[in-house]
Amino acid sequence: MQLRFEEVDKQFGQLEVIKGFNGEFAQGELVALVGPSGCGKSTLLHLVAGLENPTAGRVLADGEKIPGPSPRRTLVFQEHALYPWLSLQGNVAMALELQGVAKASAFEQAAAWLARVSLDGFEHYYPHQVSGGMRQRTALARAFIAKPEVLLLDEPFGALDALTRMALQDVLLELIKEHQPTVLLVTHDVDEALYLADHVLVFSARPAKVLKTFNFTHCEKSHDLTAFAAERTEILRLLGIKTEVGQP
Amino acid sequence: MSQPRRLTGPKKYLAVALAILFILLIWQAAAWSLPSFLMPGIPTVLERLFSTVQEPEFREGLYGSMSRLGSGYSFALLFGIGFGLVGGVLFFFREILRSAIVILQSIPSIAWVPLFLIVMGFGNLPIIVVVALAAFFPMALSVMNATESVQPVHVAAARVMGASRWQLLRRVYLPAVMPELITGAQLAFGNAWRALISAEMLIGFGQGLGRSLAYSGEIADMSGVMMNILVIAILATLIDQVVLEKFKQRMLRYQYV
Repeated sequence: MQLRFEEVDKQFGQLEVIKGFNGEFAQGELVALVGPSGCGKSTLLHLVAGLENPTAGRVLADGEKIPGPSPRRTLVFQEHALYPWLSLQGNVAMALELQGVAKASAFEQAAAWLARVSLDGFEHYYPHQVSGGMRQRTALARAFIAKPEVLLLDEPFGALDALTRMALQDVLLELIKEHQPTVLLVTHDVDEALYLADHVLVFSARPAKVLKTFNFTHCEKSHDLTAFAAERTEILRLLGIKTEVGQP
Repeated sequence: MSQPRRLTGPKKYLAVALAILFILLIWQAAAWSLPSFLMPGIPTVLERLFSTVQEPEFREGLYGSMSRLGSGYSFALLFGIGFGLVGGVLFFFREILRSAIVILQSIPSIAWVPLFLIVMGFGNLPIIVVVALAAFFPMALSVMNATESVQPVHVAAARVMGASRWQLLRRVYLPAVMPELITGAQLAFGNAWRALISAEMLIGFGQGLGRSLAYSGEIADMSGVMMNILVIAILATLIDQVVLEKFKQRMLRYQYV
């Protein structure tokens, strides 16, 4: 699914969060949005998800104005978005049940998807009984089971420790390679953006403006990011972080 | 760190047994220090209870009381949960309902009895309505207040999965408010039970547990009075601690694992 933003403004009351945002993302692209906290990146995701409407301008999916939420455009939240009263299997199955799939079939497919993210054997556990990484694996399974055409990731691994995060980034990459959704990823982790994304958009503080777009043609993704040292320094500089050492 | 937050197993039962023992001890102490026509002892009252439950008249009265309680209470549960949930998603309606409840709740439910008696006539209906009224307010309030603390991310997650409004209520709001709903149902049961007994005591058309208690008092039959009080205490405790607690543990299974 192709996404297009045309002169999008979004205000919450007096608060101007997004102003005159333009952008076009092709089918199957993985775009990372990085920027200071509270600059409106998450709001962009909510606009695509249909949870919010733009104050002005248009957000188009395959040329059509987005009318409201739809399982074709799904969102993965940072954490605590699983239902504590449902088992992991129940959580994943709910994505299908809400679309009218019969419970037995939904649960069967959910079990297969849990196995897909290496959680076989944990079907009957409740979210509070497993680790944060396992919860986010479940959240990914819940997102992918509905075969979304757009995947919106709102700091999906932000609450995880570094090693768990890297493992989950690989799970995510594999799933994306298999299903080819268009992906918008909001992240605070510049290395995560460099590792995962085809394009990185660096945003200014509110109202969000794109300071610079970086395009990468990854041949082979690798956690060794030394090849991107120059871009990394540049992005961090745009975000107001000094990386040079030993300057007087 | 790993301090258990609730007692479980034998220790809990021991605590309950001690509480019962304590109450019975006070009763028996009173019976020893007062003349027996004023305060009958436990054995006398138990003997009376065993013979009375054999009487079809008493059982019929008891059955009548329980069916009035059942109708009034289930009515209140149904409407309390319904209004509470709808109030959770319609913000303006919620404020209206909340204000109305705060005003109406300040009126003791028993105060409605004279009005209902004249409007509805002698019979089961006025008692059922009083019971329903007494139970409705805490039920609706606790569900409504709980809907306010449903996590926005849980609602948003269901919406992006394509949930309709009805599915949101049924699959997100209802399970999310379940802990408060059950607490509300227990609170509502206490209210309903008190309303039932007092309304029956007040309306003297000759049947039910409350009436039987009031009548024993009128003829100064103290072992009858104590027996009825005993029945009231046993029934309420059984319903609250066994039926509602079991229901709670079933519905909130995820909190107990």
